[in-house]
Amino acid sequence: MNVIALILLGSVVVVPAVALWSLHWASRTGEFRLLNRAALLPFDDEEPVGQATDQILNRGGDRR
Amino acid sequence: MSSTNTLKALMPGDVQSDPARRAMLAEIDASCRVPVLFFVVSGLMWLLLGTLLALVASIKLHNPEFLAAWEWLTFGRVRPAHLNTVIYGFASQTGIGVTLWLMCRLCRVPFPAPGLTTVAALFWNLGLTIGVVGILVGDSTAIEWLELPRYSTPILFFSYALVAVWSVITFRLRRERHLYVSQWYLLAALLWFPWLYATAQIMLLIEPVRGVVQASVNWWFAHNVLGLWFTPIGLGAIYYFIPKVVGRPIHSYYLSVLGFWSLALFYNWNGLHHLIGGPMPAWMITVSVVASVMMLIPVITVAINHHFTMVGHFGKLRHSPTLRFIVFGAMAYTLTSLQGVANSLRSYSEIVHFTHHTVAHAHLGVYGFFTMVMFGSLYYIVPRITQREWPSLALISVHFWGCALGLILYVVPLSYGGILQGLGMNDASIPFLKVVEGTLPWLRIRTGAGLLLALGHVAFVVNLGWLLCRVFGPYRKPVVELFTETGTAAVTAK
Repeated sequence: MNVIALILLGSVVVVPAVALWSLHWASRTGEFRLLNRAALLPFDDEEPVGQATDQILNRGGDRR
Repeated sequence: MSSTNTLKALMPGDVQSDPARRAMLAEIDASCRVPVLFFVVSGLMWLLLGTLLALVASIKLHNPEFLAAWEWLTFGRVRPAHLNTVIYGFASQTGIGVTLWLMCRLCRVPFPAPGLTTVAALFWNLGLTIGVVGILVGDSTAIEWLELPRYSTPILFFSYALVAVWSVITFRLRRERHLYVSQWYLLAALLWFPWLYATAQIMLLIEPVRGVVQASVNWWFAHNVLGLWFTPIGLGAIYYFIPKVVGRPIHSYYLSVLGFWSLALFYNWNGLHHLIGGPMPAWMITVSVVASVMMLIPVITVAINHHFTMVGHFGKLRHSPTLRFIVFGAMAYTLTSLQGVANSLRSYSEIVHFTHHTVAHAHLGVYGFFTMVMFGSLYYIVPRITQREWPSLALISVHFWGCALGLILYVVPLSYGGILQGLGMNDASIPFLKVVEGTLPWLRIRTGAGLLLALGHVAFVVNLGWLLCRVFGPYRKPVVELFTETGTAAVTAK
């Protein structure tokens, strides 16, 4: 039963503690501010905003 | 100033214009080639095996004499073998492969410690092979979602630990300090899975608990594998690929953060709604039902966010295989989640519990959502890490329509048939055998749907194999140039 007690302790204490620490870390490092900046992280000079990618099907068809 | 320029002005400095501080995308992609392909190709081999096992199991449901002469192909072994090959063989490995690539791209670092993940992939496949053979020879644990024999699971756990170590290294080495929402989802999944897997293994197999606690832990694990392992990986991929393909940031980053934290808060409590009607303390079931209904918050925020990101860009579905699969997966996520909320209600569960409706629901989630998102992600990732285009656009279409139509044909009739089955079982005036016979048409349709899914899988594997053969052929132009529709970009930028 000792192992079970350790697991329960881990589930009740460690996991919520990690979650709270993550929230604190995120708040401290500005993850919840500058949201517009974060939204742009998938983009850069090579694949900038406004540039569609992966347009490989029907390339000779639709020319709107 | 145009809207695009305004957005560019907001772009992080080190991301926007300091190439010395960030690796080039091509360098990152090339560094991911071997480790990501190892996981992905292994995963697809398991998918083919899992599909074959699924077809055998499905045929046996309406034709029990099929392959009945071999004990290792009896339904009780084939069905868990199918489940474990697709969950731990295909879905987990493909999910890890996609996660590795996304982490490198978003952390802006070339793949660190590739040997670590290569060893992890080797051991993962070794452990799974031992486990699946063990199930087929009769060593299944008979605990749903944890059927792999006890002698195989430590190998899987060791392998997973290596992946977790890799993710910590990558996170520490990141050159972009700010985290994108996809990273939140991926890092959370990498944290949650070992907690779930270790807890369930210890409490059910190593130091087994007894009675209702056993059932509680079983369904806590089984439901959370979907919600805290596959769902965050799938949503993390969607949050990356929809903006990338349409060339537009996510509609509301605020909503994406709200969706992540509400998923983290509510999902963990959901699993016990599978035990409605069982000999459980009522308050435990009630807590689970309440948490299941609260899941409407992350589901609706995610659905709104994805939909409004796509608004004005639905035409791109005709041109992008990635977008087709991902949008299909995103829609399936919304549907399966809403269906899951309904299934968790006691009044509805009275009808659909223990019926094929639950099977349809599980496939809508694991296949319609997660698998389709993984397929879409691979259509984006593989050409970039191999520097080769997909050889056959026709095979891409066969893959998409085979899987999409196959899934619809699987889920819709089986859901309806499951409701009829449940209503029949609740009516004491109807003999049980008559209810069972009533399910036969739906089960035959299910086998037909499985054949369509199998067709899609074969088309994808052939296309991928063809592409990989070309890796050893002559060099071609970088795929980023090939895959950029400059005309579309110009129109959008205006």
